Amino acid sequence: MKRQDNALEARAIGTAVKEEKAGGVKMKKVRAILRKGGQERRSAFRAGQFDFVGFLLRLVLVAAIVALFVLFFGRFVDVYMAVKTNGETDIPRRATELLTILYAAITVGMVIGGIGQLGRELFNSDDMRIFSALPLNEKTLFVAKLFNIYRGQLLIALVTVLTVNATFAWKVAVTPAFWALTVGICFLLPLITIAIAAVLVMPFQLIKRFLRERFFLTFLLVTALLGVAFWVYSLLLSGVKQLLLGDSLRYFFNEQVMTAIGKACDFLYPARWFANIMAGTDPVWSWVGLVAVGAVGLLISMLVIKSILRRAMQARNQSSTGSLLRSGYLKPKHGKFSALLKKEFLLIFRTPSYMFSYFSVAFIMPLMVYFCMDIGASLVENLVGLDSNLELALFLTILFGALTNVFCATNISRDGEMFYTVKALPLNFKAVFFSKVVLCLIVTAITQVASAILLAGAGIVTAYDALFIAAVGIIFSFVNIAVATRYDFNHARFSTEDDGEIKESSGTVSIVIVLGMVVSFAVGGLVFILKVLSQLNGTGYGALTYILAGGLALVAGGLAAFYLFFRLKQKYYEFSGGGI
Amino acid sequence: MKYCTTCKVLYQDEVNFCPDCGGRTVSFAAGYDPYGVSAAAPTGSEKEVVSVKGLYKRYSRKAPWAVTDVSFTCNEGEIVGLLGHNGAGKSTTLKCLEGMLPFERGEIKIAGYDIKKDAEKAKMQMGFVTDNHATFVKMTGIQYINFMADVYEVPTDVRTKRLAELERVFRLGRPIENLISSYSHGMRQKICMMGSLIHSPKLWILDEPMTGLDPATMRAVQKFMHEYVAQGNAIIFSSHALNTVAKLCDRVVLIQKGEQVDELNVKQIYAANPNFDFEEYFLRNEKTR
Repeated sequence: MKRQDNALEARAIGTAVKEEKAGGVKMKKVRAILRKGGQERRSAFRAGQFDFVGFLLRLVLVAAIVALFVLFFGRFVDVYMAVKTNGETDIPRRATELLTILYAAITVGMVIGGIGQLGRELFNSDDMRIFSALPLNEKTLFVAKLFNIYRGQLLIALVTVLTVNATFAWKVAVTPAFWALTVGICFLLPLITIAIAAVLVMPFQLIKRFLRERFFLTFLLVTALLGVAFWVYSLLLSGVKQLLLGDSLRYFFNEQVMTAIGKACDFLYPARWFANIMAGTDPVWSWVGLVAVGAVGLLISMLVIKSILRRAMQARNQSSTGSLLRSGYLKPKHGKFSALLKKEFLLIFRTPSYMFSYFSVAFIMPLMVYFCMDIGASLVENLVGLDSNLELALFLTILFGALTNVFCATNISRDGEMFYTVKALPLNFKAVFFSKVVLCLIVTAITQVASAILLAGAGIVTAYDALFIAAVGIIFSFVNIAVATRYDFNHARFSTEDDGEIKESSGTVSIVIVLGMVVSFAVGGLVFILKVLSQLNGTGYGALTYILAGGLALVAGGLAAFYLFFRLKQKYYEFSGGGI
Repeated sequence: MKYCTTCKVLYQDEVNFCPDCGGRTVSFAAGYDPYGVSAAAPTGSEKEVVSVKGLYKRYSRKAPWAVTDVSFTCNEGEIVGLLGHNGAGKSTTLKCLEGMLPFERGEIKIAGYDIKKDAEKAKMQMGFVTDNHATFVKMTGIQYINFMADVYEVPTDVRTKRLAELERVFRLGRPIENLISSYSHGMRQKICMMGSLIHSPKLWILDEPMTGLDPATMRAVQKFMHEYVAQGNAIIFSSHALNTVAKLCDRVVLIQKGEQVDELNVKQIYAANPNFDFEEYFLRNEKTR
C-alpha cells in the first residue's frame, strides 16, 4: 500500500507543476510533497488497516507516562520552590533554575531525536529514490524536507514543553503571558535543536557507516553503552534511596548544592534564556539572545542540510555499496529447524536496531534486576519493615523479562515478505513458529538464569529461591513470547523498506508492553501484598508465594501455549496478511 | 539424434555443442521435443508435473475474485508460460501454486501431491523465484544457499556440486560471500534463482524471471531453462514479455482479469504459421474482452 501511495504521489508531484525553472523554490511542489507525507500518515487509519486497540493502548501509554511525570514533577516543584538560600525563599530564582535544567534536558532529547529524524529524512527515507528521479530541484526538496523535520520537532516541543510548563503553572502562579510565551518557545526551540542535530548528523552517519557489518563490535559497543547508562541510572536511584532512607531530602538542597546548581544553570544556554523569559528574569536580553541563536541556527541548518541533501540523494541511488562481510563456505547439512533458528538469529544480530532492542537489552537485564533489587529490598525493609526479597525479586524478574520480550511483538512482522517465501518452503508450520519461540526462549532462559545467579551470589535470595525465581521467570517469559508472537501473527504488518526492517513500532508493541506490565504487577503485586498482609495480621504465610507464583505461572503458561497454537495450522496456511 | 537447447536445431551427429550457436545439445530421447511432435499426442500419455483444476482465489470475502476457474497442466520436459497484463492474476495463480496463498476452490497437484493436503511433500518437488526477489538480506549469499539446502534436505556433497553448476550459469562470483543487502536487483534475482535450484526440483516456478537481468545472464537463464526441462523437469513462469514467452514456452496459458481465456501450443502454432504474430493476437484478445 505504501508503495502504491508513493507511486501515486510521485505521479501527482510530477504533474503538479509542468515547468521546471532552475533555481527557485516551487511552492506547489513543496505542498505536493508535504501532502504526500500527510496521506501516507493517514493511510494507517484507513478502514481495514487501522488497529484500534493498539492505537488506544499507545495513547494510554503516552498518557500514563505524562501523568506520572506531572505527578512526580509537581511534587518536586513544591519541594524545590520551598528551598531557602541565605534563610529566604527565592521563587523567581528557583523557577529559573528549575526551568533551565528542564529545558536543557528537553533540548538534549530533541537534538537526539533530531539526529534520528534527519537521518531518516535524508539518508533512509524510501521516497528519496523517487524524488531523485523527479523534476524536483534541490531547493524545493530542501524546503519540503526542512519543513517536515521542523514539523516533527515542533510536535515533540509542544508535548514536552507544554507538559513541563503546565505542571509548573499548576504549582506556581503564572500570568497569561506565560502561556503565550510557552507557544513562542515551542516554535523557537526546534530551530536551535535542528541546527545542532544538523551539525551532528554527519559524524553520526559516519560512525554508523563504520559500524555497518561490524556486527559484533556494534553489539559490544551498544551493550557497553547501555550498561553504563543503566549503571548511572542505578547510581541516581541509589542516591535517591539514601535520601529517602536518611530523611535527608529536605537537607539535600543545602547552600553548597544550590550554589553548584546556580553555577551550572549559568552555562546552560540557550535553555537559560528560555527559562529567563518564562520566569520573567532579564527577558529582553534573553529574547535578543534567543532570536539571534535561532537565526544562526536556521542558517546553519539550511547550509548543512542543503549540503547533505545532494550527496544523500546520490548515495540513496547507489544500489551496490560493497560488503565487508566474507563468508564463503558451504556448511555441512543441518536440520530444517536449526537452519530456521540460525536464520532468526542472523536476522536479529545483523540488524543494529533489533540487536539493541533484544540482545543488548537481554544482556543487561540481569544487571537491571540486580540494581533494582538492591535498591528496592533495602527500601522495603526500611519503609515497610519486613523481608520480602523473594516476592520483590519475582516481581522484578517478571517485569524486566516482560520488557525484554517486548521485542517478540515483531516476531512475524520482521520477516516481512520473506514470511511468504518461508510459507512456500517445505516447512511445517510448527517448525516456523517453534524456531521463533525457541530462539526467544533461549535468550530469555540465559538472562533469567544469569539474574537468578546474580541475586543468589549477592546473597539477596537463597539458592533455592533463585532457582524458583528463574523457573517462574522463564515460564512468564514464555507467556510473553507466545502471546506476542501469536498476536503479531494475527495483526502482522510487514515493512516496505528495502531491507524489510521495521522502523516504527506498531500497536502490537503497545499491547505487549501493557500486558507484560499488567501480568508482572498482578503476580508480583499479589504475592507481595499477601505477604505484607499476613505479616501485619501475624498469620502464617508459609509457602504461599511458591504456590501462588508457581501455580499462576503454570496456568498462564498453559493458557499462552493454547493461545499460540489455537487453530494455528489452519491460520498459517490461510495467511494472506502483512498489509502489503 | 541430438538437438540444441538454445536454437533447437536438430543434428543427426552426436555433437555435444551446437555448431551454430555453441549451445549445449541434449539427446532427443531426453524427453524434449523441439518440433512439438509430442505436444500433438494426448496429454494423458505424458507425466504430469503440475495439475491445476478449477482454481478460484479471492483476497477477502468481500473482494472480487482475483482468479476464476483457471485450469492447466504442465508435463515433464515442458515450459508453460502464464501470460497476461499487469494485475491479470498471473502472480496470484503462481502464489497459489507455490502454497504461499490459500485458495477458495479448486485443486493443485505438484508431482501428484496435493498442495493443500500434502503441502510439505508437494513443496519439496518445487523451487520458486518470486516477482519481488524477496530474500533474507541479512544473510550472505552463501548462507542463503546453505539455508535453502538445509530446508530442502540437500546432502553436503550434492550441494557443493550443485552450487558449482549453478555458479557456472549465473556467475554471481565473489559477491556470493557478501551480505545480500549489498546486492543489486539483478544479483538478488540470481541468488534467488540459485537458492531455488539447489535441490534440483522437479518443478521450477518463476514469476517474471527476466526482469532486471543483464542480457548475458538472461541468455544464460533461457539456455538453462531449456536444458533443465530436457532433463525431465518442468518450468512454469509468468510474464508479460511476449518475446520471451514465444522464445521459451511450449504452451501458454492466457489469463485476463483473473480468467483463463485461452491455452495455446506455441510450438504447434509456429509450426503451422511461422509468421504468427503473438503480440497482435494478445492485444486483439485483450480488446475483445
